[in-house]
Amino acid sequence: MNGLDLMASRPARALRIAIHNQVLFTLLIVASAAVASSGFVSIAPNRLVSGTPLPLWEAAGGLPSLGIAILGSMLLSACCIAPSRALHYAAAASAALLLLLALIAAGHAATALVVNAKPGSRISFGASFWLLAGCASLALADAMQRLAAGIGARLVLAIAIVSAVLWLAITGTFDALSIAREYETRRQVFTGALLQHMALVGASVGGAVVIGFPLGIAVARRPRLQGPVFAFLNLLQTIPSIALFGLLIVPLSALVAAAPWLAAFGIAGIGVTPAIIALVLYALLPVVRNTSAGLTGVDRAAIEAGRGMGLSRGQIFWQLELPLASPVLLAGLRIVIVQAIGLAVVAALIGAGGLGTFVFEGLGQYAVDLVLLGALPAIFLALGADFLLQLAAALLRRRFAT
Amino acid sequence: MLALSAGWAKATAEDKIVVASKIDTEGALLGNIILALLEARGLTVENKIQLGPTNIVRAAILAGQIDVYPEYTGNGALFFHMEEDPAWKNWERGYSLVQTLCRERNHLVWLAPAPANNTWVIAVRKDLAERHRLTSMEDFAKFLAIGGRIKLAASAEFVESPSALPAFEATYGFRLTDQQLLTLSGGNTSATLRAAAEGMSGVNAAMAYGTDGAMSELGLLALKDDKGAQIVYAPSPVVRELVLQRHPEIETWLDPVFASLTLETLQALNARIAVDGEDAAAVAASYLKSRHFLP
Repeated sequence: MNGLDLMASRPARALRIAIHNQVLFTLLIVASAAVASSGFVSIAPNRLVSGTPLPLWEAAGGLPSLGIAILGSMLLSACCIAPSRALHYAAAASAALLLLLALIAAGHAATALVVNAKPGSRISFGASFWLLAGCASLALADAMQRLAAGIGARLVLAIAIVSAVLWLAITGTFDALSIAREYETRRQVFTGALLQHMALVGASVGGAVVIGFPLGIAVARRPRLQGPVFAFLNLLQTIPSIALFGLLIVPLSALVAAAPWLAAFGIAGIGVTPAIIALVLYALLPVVRNTSAGLTGVDRAAIEAGRGMGLSRGQIFWQLELPLASPVLLAGLRIVIVQAIGLAVVAALIGAGGLGTFVFEGLGQYAVDLVLLGALPAIFLALGADFLLQLAAALLRRRFAT
Repeated sequence: MLALSAGWAKATAEDKIVVASKIDTEGALLGNIILALLEARGLTVENKIQLGPTNIVRAAILAGQIDVYPEYTGNGALFFHMEEDPAWKNWERGYSLVQTLCRERNHLVWLAPAPANNTWVIAVRKDLAERHRLTSMEDFAKFLAIGGRIKLAASAEFVESPSALPAFEATYGFRLTDQQLLTLSGGNTSATLRAAAEGMSGVNAAMAYGTDGAMSELGLLALKDDKGAQIVYAPSPVVRELVLQRHPEIETWLDPVFASLTLETLQALNARIAVDGEDAAAVAASYLKSRHFLP
């Protein structure tokens, strides 16, 4: 790789510093600028007003700031050393430690600040915390990329970081932060909301696959269907979710009134039923599109060969077409699940519960930390689901490769 | 998922009362007050509090999916497309009009409303109010007439809806120019109040609701609408007629509680939820206990 010249002066050849890793270098510049110029945590007199930002060194004290500075300098020097596997390992370890240290520093800063603060005061993560944590995560991802780390190594790393963060949370590191206080008020309903969210996603993705997969096959077999089917599914995507919920109440209630035994299955005009129907409708487009694209993308020659070997139509489908299309199908499933995790947030608007309850309550009260209490778990659910599907795709590839 | 559905189905078969509310802070408070009372008096209840926005909750009660929820008398203007009727601007007449219309057309009963008005108000910064002696909308109009500097943060709905800002302007004889308005499309009162409290972009006045809990905490003062320019929004428990026939005692339980919910009480209770971040159910329970409605 061509080095970027920092010191262009010609005579000082011996002092030339080359930046080997420009990604890491950029991230470090962004993180340093953020830490130098914006608040690491902010303290507000109550839940509603914006807080006063406090810089890292003032909020977290000398030791954590020094630790962050040392890890930053180590990463900076890593940019200038010729790349090697050992260096990437060191960079990954430093980035992971930086992420954890940023979390610890924010927690400790809040704990120290809360002692002298009035009872209603709120201490929240500041801009430089988010940027530092974000840059550390990206630096970590960059190091793993350069190491060409396999899915196994990534899994170990993810488990290590998640356990460390959970351990910090359980030991009370974050208790003084506003988001933890929002959690504390809703402790009894939080787990229920999280599980409800996952149930909504599971049911809607399941429903979309059951309906969308055969539909996708039909569209792939009969290209004439493609136009009308996709036009309809596209139309569904354009209906705002809240309007769809409103439209579903009346027919569903009438249906239950006409056939009361349906109520025994939990069917109702409000709550989970309309939410799942709406989420299934939104998930249909990616499922159908990827199923049909995956199947039509299968090499004709492979099918001809199968036919030549005397395979039946069923055998061709299950043993040739489906395995060959599986990467595209799995990619579709990834899109659908991640999209459903995000969309299920709006299910709270029709009384279906889930993490959206916190998001909308927080929006109504302008309480940003309450919004985060709903949004952050949704983001981590999406990342987790994405990761698990990557794992599944990797295992699938390995099976077909051997 | 199936276990969840089965649980619901079991409850549906019994005679239980589905208590709901809108998604906002006051909805959560009033919904929890109703729920706690009915439950404490031995009725089987199902919690659908913070079900959704107004149109969803209204559709749900019309479809018989919920049995009781708190609604505002003035919303009758919206439900029956009668925005022009002057009755909505009067506390008693608005209540009796919506009560009659809903009973006849929807088989819904509006129980006695709280003596409070959660209508649109204009709130100004306390420092501005003190310096220029602003306490009412008349003072506000006079202040504008002598060239006083006002910048009002408001939602697009407040600025455009004929019954909101234009009604204030017509009644008190003033007119806000585009330079005097900061319009937040889809903005809620939390956003407008915060803009005024923090003086964002020179904002010193905000659209608010009468029972908003955050106003005093944010150093804002609601200006009095002495001439009654606005529709009155008194919170009242709305019950399905069928359910009330089966449990007429609900009315005798809820009436004294809603009668105790004055404007100041609602502001204080809403503030505990919105400003201090307390749980709405806990606030409702502690209020009912403090007034000896619950043991």
